[in-house]
Amino acid sequence: MNRFDLLNKIQNILKDNLVICNIGLPSQELYKINDQPNFFYMLGSMGLSSSIGLGLSLSQNKNVVSIDGDGSVLMNMNTLATIGNRAPSNYTLLIIDNGSYGSTGDQRTFTDENTSLKDVAIGAGCKNVVECSGDETVNELSKAIDDQNNSYVIISKINSGNVKIDPIPLNPITIRDRFRKFIGIVKYL
Amino acid sequence: MKISKKIIDNLKKGGVDFYLSVPCKLLANMIDILEKDKDVYYSAVPREEEGMGICAGAYLGNKFPCIMMQNTGIGNSVNAIVSLLQLYQMPIVFLISYRGTPGEPVGAQGGMAKITEDILQMLRIPMLHCSSENDLEKISTFSKHAKVVESPVAILCDFNLMKDDK
Repeated sequence: MNRFDLLNKIQNILKDNLVICNIGLPSQELYKINDQPNFFYMLGSMGLSSSIGLGLSLSQNKNVVSIDGDGSVLMNMNTLATIGNRAPSNYTLLIIDNGSYGSTGDQRTFTDENTSLKDVAIGAGCKNVVECSGDETVNELSKAIDDQNNSYVIISKINSGNVKIDPIPLNPITIRDRFRKFIGIVKYL
Repeated sequence: MKISKKIIDNLKKGGVDFYLSVPCKLLANMIDILEKDKDVYYSAVPREEEGMGICAGAYLGNKFPCIMMQNTGIGNSVNAIVSLLQLYQMPIVFLISYRGTPGEPVGAQGGMAKITEDILQMLRIPMLHCSSENDLEKISTFSKHAKVVESPVAILCDFNLMKDDK
């Protein structure tokens, strides 16, 4: 299973939740599978999906899923410590760990060598850290979202590989405003 | 404490209700005040760039965020400022302890001090430079301005203004 297959499998679970989606192919694939106003597509700032989702979950009550990648988490690992100490129960971090930098040509990341993001997350103080296969991810993600009392970090181990895909045609303010409209903040659209 | 209290009071008057900090000796009193304040959210964060991401998320969730940091933190955050906060036009207040300005005892702080305002100018980030107590009155209006222009804004607090705020 690669990222595109996984995103296809979990799209129904994401439907009612606020989703922060990582820059590059993850966002482009999610957009192609089933674009929704409650999906915030990152067009820059690699590494910050986990952090943006954390800020969002701290500031309102809807469930938040940050979709991140192994390369991006490796770039901003300090935020696992913030998540380990501050994440509220409406927060789930889904790390799609394919052991490679998919958007830049599938170069190997350190999770394909010695690094375990599960161990890093546990060491950083995160609770409910789950490492699972792509097939198990649907079930684990549903459980995490349904649990109103705990935050989760799910590391989904899948294969590398991408589908051929176009950049997202939406401009950033459209992404921002329709997302905030879904939350109920923007009234003018 | 007087100066720090005035800064926080004015930020709150400007509507800021979500605070993060990467610590600085000059911010210590403000951090103390915020830790005891039940009306606003406050947390420390390990790194400024990450803080920019958390602030962006808090803005999406209808908070008006402020990140407190040394001017060195701007250097750590340029890509996040440009390709997240400015790209999506997010109003975030940077409250910056301006290390390396006159009064600073640590020579090595001078390097970032020399280029801090150049970086902010290059990024087209509106600046409020506070060097005396009177300047602090402008903070609430300046913070509101961030929302009007949908842009991050920077408040720079000089070393000499903060150093004796016991």
